[in-house]
Amino acid sequence: MTLEELEAAVMAANTINLEVYYYWCTAIMILIHAGFLMYEMGASRVKNTLASGTKNILAFAFMIPTFYMFGWWIYLAMINGFIPDFEAGAGGVPWSDSMGPNLQDHATGVFWGAFTLFACTTASIMSGAVIERIRMAAFIVLAVVLGSVVWNLSASWGWHYAGWMVTGWGYHDFGASGVVHIISGFFALGILINLGPRIGKYNDDGSPNVIKGHSLPMTCAGLMLIVFGFFGFLAGCLIFPGTDVSFDAVNWTNIYGQPTTLSAITFNTLMGVAGGIIGCYAMTRDPFWMMSGALCGIISVAAGMDVWDPSLCFAIAFAGGILGPWAAGIFERMGIDDAVGAVSVHGICGIWGVLAVGIFMGGYPEFSADIPPATFMGQFKGMIVMVLLGFIPGYVISLIFKMCGILRASDAIQRAGMDVEVVGTAYPEEIKS
Amino acid sequence: MFNSSPIQAWDGAAAFFSYAGSGGPVLWFWVSVILCIIPVLVSLKAEKAAEDKYK
Repeated sequence: MTLEELEAAVMAANTINLEVYYYWCTAIMILIHAGFLMYEMGASRVKNTLASGTKNILAFAFMIPTFYMFGWWIYLAMINGFIPDFEAGAGGVPWSDSMGPNLQDHATGVFWGAFTLFACTTASIMSGAVIERIRMAAFIVLAVVLGSVVWNLSASWGWHYAGWMVTGWGYHDFGASGVVHIISGFFALGILINLGPRIGKYNDDGSPNVIKGHSLPMTCAGLMLIVFGFFGFLAGCLIFPGTDVSFDAVNWTNIYGQPTTLSAITFNTLMGVAGGIIGCYAMTRDPFWMMSGALCGIISVAAGMDVWDPSLCFAIAFAGGILGPWAAGIFERMGIDDAVGAVSVHGICGIWGVLAVGIFMGGYPEFSADIPPATFMGQFKGMIVMVLLGFIPGYVISLIFKMCGILRASDAIQRAGMDVEVVGTAYPEEIKS
Repeated sequence: MFNSSPIQAWDGAAAFFSYAGSGGPVLWFWVSVILCIIPVLVSLKAEKAAEDKYK
Protein backbone atom coordinates (compact mmCIF):
# COMPACT_ATOMS: atom_id res chain seq x y z
CA MET A 1 0.00 0.00 0.00
CA THR A 2 1.40 3.38 -0.98
CA LEU A 3 1.46 6.35 1.36
CA GLU A 4 -1.29 8.00 -0.69
CA GLU A 5 -3.45 4.89 -0.46
CA LEU A 6 -2.83 4.72 3.28
CA GLU A 7 -3.81 8.37 3.71
CA ALA A 8 -6.95 7.82 1.65
CA ALA A 9 -7.86 4.79 3.76
CA VAL A 10 -7.38 6.74 7.00
CA MET A 11 -9.47 9.61 5.66
CA ALA A 12 -12.20 7.19 4.57
CA ALA A 13 -12.22 5.55 8.01
CA ASN A 14 -12.41 8.96 9.69
CA THR A 15 -15.27 10.02 7.44
CA ILE A 16 -17.28 6.90 8.25
CA ASN A 17 -16.52 7.37 11.96
CA LEU A 18 -17.80 10.94 11.70
CA GLU A 19 -20.97 9.69 10.08
CA VAL A 20 -21.49 7.05 12.76
CA TYR A 21 -20.76 9.52 15.57
CA TYR A 22 -23.35 12.12 14.56
CA TYR A 23 -25.86 9.43 13.61
CA TRP A 24 -25.83 8.15 17.19
CA CYS A 25 -25.77 11.64 18.68
CA THR A 26 -28.96 12.28 16.74
CA ALA A 27 -30.53 9.03 17.93
CA ILE A 28 -29.65 9.78 21.55
CA MET A 29 -31.13 13.27 21.21
CA ILE A 30 -34.49 11.71 20.39
CA LEU A 31 -34.55 10.71 24.05
CA ILE A 32 -34.81 14.41 24.88
CA HIS A 33 -38.20 14.26 23.19
CA ALA A 34 -39.21 11.07 24.91
CA GLY A 35 -38.34 12.93 28.10
CA PHE A 36 -40.23 16.10 27.22
CA LEU A 37 -43.22 13.96 26.27
CA MET A 38 -43.29 12.27 29.70
CA TYR A 39 -42.44 15.52 31.46
CA GLU A 40 -45.28 17.51 29.94
CA MET A 41 -47.85 14.74 30.13
CA GLY A 42 -47.00 14.18 33.78
CA ALA A 43 -47.16 17.90 34.49
CA SER A 44 -50.65 18.09 33.00
CA ARG A 45 -53.85 17.34 34.85
CA VAL A 46 -55.59 14.12 33.78
CA LYS A 47 -58.06 15.95 31.55
CA ASN A 48 -55.24 17.55 29.55
CA THR A 49 -52.78 14.68 29.35
CA LEU A 50 -53.29 13.56 25.76
CA ALA A 51 -53.52 17.09 24.40
CA SER A 52 -50.15 17.89 25.98
CA GLY A 53 -48.67 14.72 24.54
CA THR A 54 -50.12 15.35 21.10
CA LYS A 55 -48.63 18.83 21.02
CA ASN A 56 -45.25 17.54 21.94
CA ILE A 57 -45.27 14.78 19.33
CA LEU A 58 -46.40 17.20 16.64
CA ALA A 59 -43.68 19.70 17.54
CA PHE A 60 -41.15 16.93 16.95
CA ALA A 61 -42.77 15.81 13.70
CA PHE A 62 -43.27 19.26 12.19
CA MET A 63 -39.70 20.28 12.89
CA ILE A 64 -38.25 17.60 10.65
CA PRO A 65 -39.83 18.49 7.26
CA THR A 66 -39.71 22.25 7.91
CA PHE A 67 -36.07 22.05 8.89
CA TYR A 68 -35.48 20.22 5.61
CA MET A 69 -37.54 22.72 3.60
CA PHE A 70 -35.96 25.92 4.89
CA GLY A 71 -34.35 25.52 8.32
CA TRP A 72 -30.99 24.20 7.20
CA TRP A 73 -30.78 26.83 4.46
CA ILE A 74 -31.44 29.59 6.99
CA TYR A 75 -28.62 28.30 9.19
CA LEU A 76 -26.13 28.22 6.33
CA ALA A 77 -27.19 31.42 4.60
CA MET A 78 -27.96 33.95 7.34
CA ILE A 79 -24.48 34.31 8.83
CA ASN A 80 -24.41 38.06 8.13
CA GLY A 81 -27.72 38.96 9.81
CA PHE A 82 -31.01 39.28 7.97
CA ILE A 83 -29.50 39.49 4.48
CA PRO A 84 -28.93 35.97 3.13
CA ASP A 85 -25.61 34.87 1.64
CA PHE A 86 -26.96 32.75 -1.21
CA GLU A 87 -23.56 31.25 -1.96
CA ALA A 88 -23.07 30.07 1.63
CA GLY A 89 -26.61 28.71 1.69
CA ALA A 90 -26.46 26.94 -1.67
CA GLY A 91 -25.81 23.55 -0.11
CA GLY A 92 -28.87 23.86 2.12
CA VAL A 93 -31.64 24.23 -0.43
CA PRO A 94 -33.69 21.03 -0.59
CA TRP A 95 -32.87 20.43 -4.27
CA SER A 96 -29.10 20.66 -3.69
CA ASP A 97 -27.05 17.50 -4.38
CA SER A 98 -26.02 17.47 -0.72
CA MET A 99 -29.58 17.26 0.58
CA GLY A 100 -30.12 13.62 -0.21
CA PRO A 101 -28.23 10.35 -0.61
CA ASN A 102 -24.84 11.18 -2.16
CA LEU A 103 -21.75 8.94 -2.14
CA GLN A 104 -19.46 11.98 -2.16
CA ASP A 105 -21.08 13.59 0.89
CA HIS A 106 -21.17 11.62 4.12
CA ALA A 107 -21.52 14.69 6.33
CA THR A 108 -24.52 16.79 5.33
CA GLY A 109 -27.18 14.27 6.27
CA VAL A 110 -25.86 13.60 9.75
CA PHE A 111 -25.16 17.29 10.44
CA TRP A 112 -28.64 18.15 9.17
CA GLY A 113 -30.08 15.44 11.42
CA ALA A 114 -28.26 16.70 14.50
CA PHE A 115 -29.31 20.29 13.84
CA THR A 116 -32.88 19.15 13.24
CA LEU A 117 -32.89 17.52 16.66
CA PHE A 118 -31.51 20.74 18.19
CA ALA A 119 -34.50 22.45 16.56
CA CYS A 120 -36.88 19.87 18.01
CA THR A 121 -35.41 20.51 21.44
CA THR A 122 -35.87 24.25 21.03
CA ALA A 123 -39.54 23.84 20.13
CA SER A 124 -40.16 21.33 22.91
CA ILE A 125 -38.83 23.74 25.50
CA MET A 126 -41.56 26.21 24.57
CA SER A 127 -44.13 23.43 24.42
CA GLY A 128 -44.11 22.75 28.16
CA ALA A 129 -44.67 26.36 29.16
CA VAL A 130 -47.98 26.69 27.32
CA ILE A 131 -49.73 23.43 28.19
CA GLU A 132 -53.37 23.19 29.22
CA ARG A 133 -54.71 26.20 27.30
CA ILE A 134 -52.96 26.83 23.96
CA ARG A 135 -54.80 25.79 20.80
CA MET A 136 -53.21 23.19 18.57
CA ALA A 137 -52.99 25.02 15.23
CA ALA A 138 -51.47 28.12 16.83
CA PHE A 139 -49.03 25.96 18.73
CA ILE A 140 -47.87 24.15 15.59
CA VAL A 141 -47.18 27.40 13.74
CA LEU A 142 -45.37 28.90 16.74
CA ALA A 143 -43.28 25.74 17.15
CA VAL A 144 -42.26 25.82 13.48
CA VAL A 145 -41.34 29.50 13.67
CA LEU A 146 -39.27 28.87 16.78
CA GLY A 147 -37.57 25.64 15.74
CA SER A 148 -37.15 26.09 12.01
CA VAL A 149 -36.67 29.85 11.71
CA VAL A 150 -35.69 31.65 14.92
CA TRP A 151 -33.31 29.05 16.32
CA ASN A 152 -31.65 28.77 12.92
CA LEU A 153 -31.08 32.51 12.84
CA SER A 154 -29.57 32.50 16.32
CA ALA A 155 -27.34 29.56 15.42
CA SER A 156 -26.27 31.13 12.16
CA TRP A 157 -25.31 34.31 14.00
CA GLY A 158 -23.70 32.88 17.13
CA TRP A 159 -23.08 29.17 16.56
CA HIS A 160 -21.29 29.20 13.20
CA TYR A 161 -17.59 29.97 12.80
CA ALA A 162 -18.49 32.67 10.25
CA GLY A 163 -21.53 34.07 12.10
CA TRP A 164 -21.46 37.83 12.60
CA MET A 165 -21.68 37.62 16.39
CA VAL A 166 -18.69 35.27 16.41
CA THR A 167 -16.52 37.21 13.99
CA GLY A 168 -17.60 40.58 15.40
CA TRP A 169 -17.80 40.03 19.16
CA GLY A 170 -16.05 36.70 19.79
CA TYR A 171 -19.37 35.31 21.06
CA HIS A 172 -18.73 31.90 22.63
CA ASP A 173 -21.58 29.48 23.27
CA PHE A 174 -20.26 25.93 23.02
CA GLY A 175 -23.36 24.05 24.22
CA ALA A 176 -26.03 26.54 23.11
CA SER A 177 -26.92 28.24 26.42
CA GLY A 178 -27.91 31.24 24.34
CA VAL A 179 -28.69 30.03 20.85
CA VAL A 180 -31.08 27.32 22.06
CA HIS A 181 -32.06 28.04 25.67
CA ILE A 182 -32.32 31.83 25.82
CA ILE A 183 -34.07 31.79 22.46
CA SER A 184 -36.67 29.22 23.45
CA GLY A 185 -37.15 30.57 26.98
CA PHE A 186 -37.83 34.11 25.83
CA PHE A 187 -39.88 33.02 22.83
CA ALA A 188 -42.04 31.16 25.35
CA LEU A 189 -42.23 34.27 27.54
CA GLY A 190 -43.52 36.31 24.58
CA ILE A 191 -46.27 33.74 24.03
CA LEU A 192 -47.17 33.46 27.72
CA ILE A 193 -47.81 37.20 27.99
CA ASN A 194 -50.47 36.95 25.28
CA LEU A 195 -51.74 33.50 26.18
CA GLY A 196 -52.56 34.31 29.79
CA PRO A 197 -52.70 31.94 32.75
CA ARG A 198 -54.68 28.73 33.07
CA ILE A 199 -58.11 29.02 34.64
CA GLY A 200 -57.68 28.78 38.40
CA LYS A 201 -54.01 29.68 38.46
CA TYR A 202 -54.60 33.06 40.06
CA ASN A 203 -57.06 34.23 42.68
CA ASP A 204 -58.97 37.49 42.42
CA ASP A 205 -56.34 39.23 44.54
CA GLY A 206 -53.62 38.08 42.11
CA SER A 207 -52.08 35.49 44.41
CA PRO A 208 -51.03 32.30 42.58
CA ASN A 209 -52.30 28.78 43.21
CA VAL A 210 -50.26 25.63 42.68
CA ILE A 211 -51.72 23.52 39.85
CA LYS A 212 -50.28 20.06 40.31
CA GLY A 213 -49.73 17.72 37.39
CA HIS A 214 -51.26 14.27 37.59
CA SER A 215 -47.99 12.29 37.72
CA LEU A 216 -44.89 13.67 39.36
CA PRO A 217 -43.08 10.31 38.93
CA MET A 218 -43.71 10.47 35.16
CA THR A 219 -42.43 14.03 35.10
CA CYS A 220 -39.28 13.17 37.06
CA ALA A 221 -38.55 10.13 34.89
CA GLY A 222 -39.05 12.30 31.82
CA LEU A 223 -36.60 14.83 33.12
CA MET A 224 -34.03 12.09 33.66
CA LEU A 225 -34.50 11.02 30.04
CA ILE A 226 -33.91 14.61 28.96
CA VAL A 227 -30.64 14.57 30.91
CA PHE A 228 -29.66 11.36 29.08
CA GLY A 229 -30.54 12.95 25.77
CA PHE A 230 -28.36 15.94 26.55
CA PHE A 231 -25.34 13.68 26.38
CA GLY A 232 -26.16 13.31 22.70
CA PHE A 233 -26.93 17.00 22.36
CA LEU A 234 -23.67 18.18 23.90
CA ALA A 235 -21.55 15.54 22.18
CA GLY A 236 -23.14 16.71 18.95
CA CYS A 237 -21.76 20.19 19.63
CA LEU A 238 -18.25 18.87 18.97
CA ILE A 239 -16.67 18.74 15.52
CA PHE A 240 -15.11 15.39 14.68
CA PRO A 241 -11.39 15.53 13.76
CA GLY A 242 -9.50 14.32 10.72
CA THR A 243 -11.99 14.66 7.88
CA ASP A 244 -12.65 17.05 5.01
CA VAL A 245 -15.15 18.97 7.14
CA SER A 246 -13.05 19.06 10.32
CA PHE A 247 -11.18 22.04 11.73
CA ASP A 248 -8.33 19.92 13.09
CA ALA A 249 -6.57 16.75 11.95
CA VAL A 250 -6.24 15.14 15.37
CA ASN A 251 -8.25 17.12 17.96
CA TRP A 252 -11.93 17.46 18.54
CA THR A 253 -12.93 21.11 18.27
CA ASN A 254 -15.89 23.23 19.22
CA ILE A 255 -18.03 24.74 16.49
CA TYR A 256 -15.69 27.76 16.40
CA GLY A 257 -12.65 25.60 15.65
CA GLN A 258 -11.00 25.73 19.11
CA PRO A 259 -9.62 22.37 20.24
CA THR A 260 -11.28 20.51 23.09
CA THR A 261 -11.95 16.89 24.06
CA LEU A 262 -14.89 14.58 24.56
CA SER A 263 -13.46 14.07 28.04
CA ALA A 264 -13.90 17.79 28.75
CA ILE A 265 -17.56 17.48 27.83
CA THR A 266 -17.93 14.36 29.98
CA PHE A 267 -16.38 16.02 33.06
CA ASN A 268 -18.49 19.11 32.73
CA THR A 269 -21.82 17.58 31.69
CA LEU A 270 -21.78 15.36 34.77
CA MET A 271 -20.61 18.15 37.08
CA GLY A 272 -23.25 20.44 35.59
CA VAL A 273 -26.04 17.92 36.16
CA ALA A 274 -24.93 17.30 39.75
CA GLY A 275 -24.41 20.96 40.61
CA GLY A 276 -27.83 21.88 39.29
CA ILE A 277 -29.62 19.10 41.18
CA ILE A 278 -27.85 19.86 44.45
CA GLY A 279 -28.38 23.61 44.07
CA CYS A 280 -32.09 23.10 43.45
CA TYR A 281 -32.32 20.73 46.39
CA ALA A 282 -30.75 23.33 48.66
CA MET A 283 -33.26 25.87 47.34
CA THR A 284 -36.48 23.84 47.20
CA ARG A 285 -36.14 20.19 48.39
CA ASP A 286 -38.72 19.48 45.68
CA PRO A 287 -38.08 16.51 43.33
CA PHE A 288 -39.72 18.32 40.41
CA TRP A 289 -37.32 21.18 40.83
CA MET A 290 -34.37 18.91 41.54
CA MET A 291 -34.78 17.26 38.14
CA SER A 292 -35.43 20.63 36.56
CA GLY A 293 -32.28 21.62 38.42
CA ALA A 294 -30.33 19.10 36.37
CA LEU A 295 -31.37 21.10 33.33
CA CYS A 296 -30.60 24.38 35.13
CA GLY A 297 -27.12 23.05 35.78
CA ILE A 298 -26.45 21.80 32.25
CA ILE A 299 -27.75 25.01 30.70
CA SER A 300 -25.72 27.18 33.06
CA VAL A 301 -22.46 25.47 32.18
CA ALA A 302 -23.16 24.64 28.52
CA ALA A 303 -21.74 27.79 26.94
CA GLY A 304 -18.27 27.21 28.37
CA MET A 305 -18.16 23.48 29.04
CA ASP A 306 -15.41 23.01 26.48
CA VAL A 307 -12.97 24.65 28.90
CA TRP A 308 -14.41 24.74 32.43
CA ASP A 309 -12.42 23.46 35.36
CA PRO A 310 -14.84 20.79 36.70
CA SER A 311 -15.00 22.31 40.19
CA LEU A 312 -15.75 25.75 38.76
CA CYS A 313 -18.31 24.07 36.51
CA PHE A 314 -19.99 22.54 39.58
CA ALA A 315 -20.16 25.95 41.26
CA ILE A 316 -21.65 27.61 38.15
CA ALA A 317 -24.24 24.83 37.90
CA PHE A 318 -25.06 25.08 41.62
CA ALA A 319 -25.72 28.80 41.14
CA GLY A 320 -27.95 27.92 38.17
CA GLY A 321 -29.83 25.49 40.40
CA ILE A 322 -30.55 28.34 42.82
CA LEU A 323 -31.35 30.79 40.05
CA GLY A 324 -33.93 28.63 38.23
CA PRO A 325 -36.56 28.21 40.95
CA TRP A 326 -35.90 31.70 42.28
CA ALA A 327 -36.65 33.23 38.88
CA ALA A 328 -39.69 30.97 38.47
CA GLY A 329 -41.14 32.42 41.67
CA ILE A 330 -40.65 35.94 40.38
CA PHE A 331 -42.35 35.18 37.06
CA GLU A 332 -45.23 33.51 38.89
CA ARG A 333 -45.75 36.56 41.08
CA MET A 334 -45.70 38.73 37.95
CA GLY A 335 -48.71 36.82 36.61
CA ILE A 336 -46.78 34.69 34.11
CA ASP A 337 -48.19 31.16 34.28
CA ASP A 338 -45.28 29.07 33.03
CA ALA A 339 -46.53 25.53 33.71
CA VAL A 340 -43.09 23.91 33.82
CA GLY A 341 -40.75 26.81 34.59
CA ALA A 342 -39.34 26.85 31.05
CA VAL A 343 -38.69 30.59 30.99
CA SER A 344 -36.61 30.48 34.14
CA VAL A 345 -34.90 27.11 33.58
CA HIS A 346 -33.98 27.79 29.96
CA GLY A 347 -34.19 31.55 29.53
CA ILE A 348 -32.72 32.78 32.81
CA CYS A 349 -30.19 29.99 33.28
CA GLY A 350 -29.25 30.45 29.62
CA ILE A 351 -28.47 34.10 30.36
CA TRP A 352 -26.35 33.02 33.32
CA GLY A 353 -24.52 30.49 31.15
CA VAL A 354 -23.67 33.03 28.46
CA LEU A 355 -22.53 35.63 31.01
CA ALA A 356 -20.50 33.06 32.96
CA VAL A 357 -18.31 32.66 29.88
CA GLY A 358 -17.76 36.41 29.87
CA ILE A 359 -16.84 36.35 33.55
CA PHE A 360 -14.73 33.21 33.89
CA MET A 361 -13.40 32.35 30.42
CA GLY A 362 -11.01 35.13 29.44
CA GLY A 363 -7.75 34.82 27.55
CA TYR A 364 -8.24 31.71 25.43
CA PRO A 365 -6.63 31.80 21.98
CA GLU A 366 -9.02 31.65 19.07
CA PHE A 367 -8.87 29.25 16.15
CA SER A 368 -8.55 32.00 13.59
CA ALA A 369 -7.33 35.59 13.57
CA ASP A 370 -10.73 36.47 12.12
CA ILE A 371 -12.38 35.69 15.44
CA PRO A 372 -11.76 38.04 18.39
CA PRO A 373 -11.42 36.57 21.90
CA ALA A 374 -14.47 36.06 24.09
CA THR A 375 -15.05 39.01 26.42
CA PHE A 376 -17.68 39.98 28.97
CA MET A 377 -19.03 42.74 26.72
CA GLY A 378 -19.14 40.41 23.73
CA GLN A 379 -21.09 37.87 25.76
CA PHE A 380 -23.35 40.57 27.23
CA LYS A 381 -24.21 41.97 23.81
CA GLY A 382 -24.75 38.46 22.50
CA MET A 383 -27.10 37.73 25.39
CA ILE A 384 -29.15 40.86 24.61
CA VAL A 385 -29.42 39.81 20.95
CA MET A 386 -30.58 36.34 21.98
CA VAL A 387 -33.21 37.69 24.40
CA LEU A 388 -34.63 40.03 21.76
CA LEU A 389 -34.40 37.50 18.94
CA GLY A 390 -36.36 35.02 21.04
CA PHE A 391 -38.87 37.36 22.65
CA ILE A 392 -39.95 39.61 19.77
CA PRO A 393 -41.18 36.97 17.30
CA GLY A 394 -42.82 34.94 20.07
CA TYR A 395 -44.67 38.01 21.34
CA VAL A 396 -45.65 39.46 17.95
CA ILE A 397 -46.88 36.25 16.33
CA SER A 398 -48.82 35.15 19.41
CA LEU A 399 -50.34 38.65 19.64
CA ILE A 400 -51.57 38.31 16.05
CA PHE A 401 -53.02 34.90 16.86
CA LYS A 402 -54.65 36.34 19.96
CA MET A 403 -56.24 39.15 17.95
CA CYS A 404 -57.53 36.52 15.49
CA GLY A 405 -58.98 34.51 18.38
CA ILE A 406 -56.99 31.36 17.62
CA LEU A 407 -54.41 31.37 20.42
CA ARG A 408 -56.23 30.35 23.58
CA ALA A 409 -58.81 27.64 24.17
CA SER A 410 -62.15 28.82 25.51
CA ASP A 411 -62.88 28.66 29.22
CA ALA A 412 -65.43 25.93 28.54
CA ILE A 413 -62.85 23.76 26.76
CA GLN A 414 -60.32 24.36 29.51
CA ARG A 415 -62.84 23.30 32.16
CA ALA A 416 -63.82 20.21 30.19
CA GLY A 417 -60.14 19.44 29.51
CA MET A 418 -58.07 19.99 26.41
CA ASP A 419 -58.31 16.28 25.63
CA VAL A 420 -61.79 16.84 24.19
CA GLU A 421 -60.00 18.52 21.27
CA VAL A 422 -57.99 15.39 20.50
CA VAL A 423 -59.06 11.77 20.63
CA GLY A 424 -60.37 11.27 24.12
CA THR A 425 -58.95 10.71 27.56
CA ALA A 426 -55.64 9.24 28.59
CA TYR A 427 -56.84 6.69 31.10
CA PRO A 428 -59.58 4.06 30.91
CA GLU A 429 -60.91 4.84 34.35
CA GLU A 430 -61.68 8.14 35.99
CA ILE A 431 -58.62 9.34 37.85
CA LYS A 432 -58.85 12.47 39.92
CA SER A 433 -56.35 15.09 38.85
CA MET B 1 -13.51 39.46 32.84
CA PHE B 2 -11.02 37.09 34.51
CA ASN B 3 -8.13 35.77 32.44
CA SER B 4 -8.50 32.08 33.20
CA SER B 5 -6.66 30.61 30.22
CA PRO B 6 -3.51 28.67 31.12
CA ILE B 7 -2.36 28.64 27.49
CA GLN B 8 -1.21 31.20 24.95
CA ALA B 9 -1.60 28.98 21.88
CA TRP B 10 -3.26 25.67 21.07
CA ASP B 11 -0.15 24.12 19.52
CA GLY B 12 1.43 21.85 22.10
CA ALA B 13 -1.17 22.67 24.75
CA ALA B 14 -1.90 20.08 27.45
CA ALA B 15 -4.22 20.91 30.38
CA PHE B 16 -6.29 23.80 29.04
CA PHE B 17 -9.15 24.00 31.54
CA SER B 18 -9.79 27.31 33.25
CA TYR B 19 -7.12 28.31 35.77
CA ALA B 20 -5.11 25.09 35.16
CA GLY B 21 -1.66 25.26 36.72
CA SER B 22 -2.59 28.05 39.12
CA GLY B 23 -4.29 28.11 42.52
CA GLY B 24 -7.69 28.46 40.84
CA PRO B 25 -8.66 24.79 40.71
CA VAL B 26 -7.81 24.38 44.40
CA LEU B 27 -9.94 27.39 45.26
CA TRP B 28 -12.87 26.09 43.21
CA PHE B 29 -12.39 22.63 44.69
CA TRP B 30 -12.95 24.00 48.19
CA VAL B 31 -15.87 26.12 47.00
CA SER B 32 -17.48 22.98 45.58
CA VAL B 33 -16.84 21.12 48.85
CA ILE B 34 -18.68 23.86 50.72
CA LEU B 35 -21.50 23.76 48.19
CA CYS B 36 -21.86 20.04 48.87
CA ILE B 37 -22.07 20.62 52.60
CA ILE B 38 -24.80 23.27 52.40
CA PRO B 39 -27.54 20.86 51.17
CA VAL B 40 -26.64 18.42 53.95
CA LEU B 41 -27.22 21.19 56.49
CA VAL B 42 -30.47 22.10 54.73
CA SER B 43 -31.55 18.45 55.02
CA LEU B 44 -30.75 18.34 58.72
CA LYS B 45 -32.73 21.50 59.34
CA ALA B 46 -35.75 20.28 57.35
CA GLU B 47 -35.70 16.87 59.00
CA LYS B 48 -35.50 18.42 62.45
CA ALA B 49 -38.46 20.66 61.64
CA ALA B 50 -40.48 17.63 60.47
CA GLU B 51 -39.49 15.58 63.51
CA ASP B 52 -40.49 18.41 65.85
CA LYS B 53 -43.81 18.90 64.05
CA TYR B 54 -44.80 15.22 64.36
CA LYS B 55 -43.35 14.65 67.82
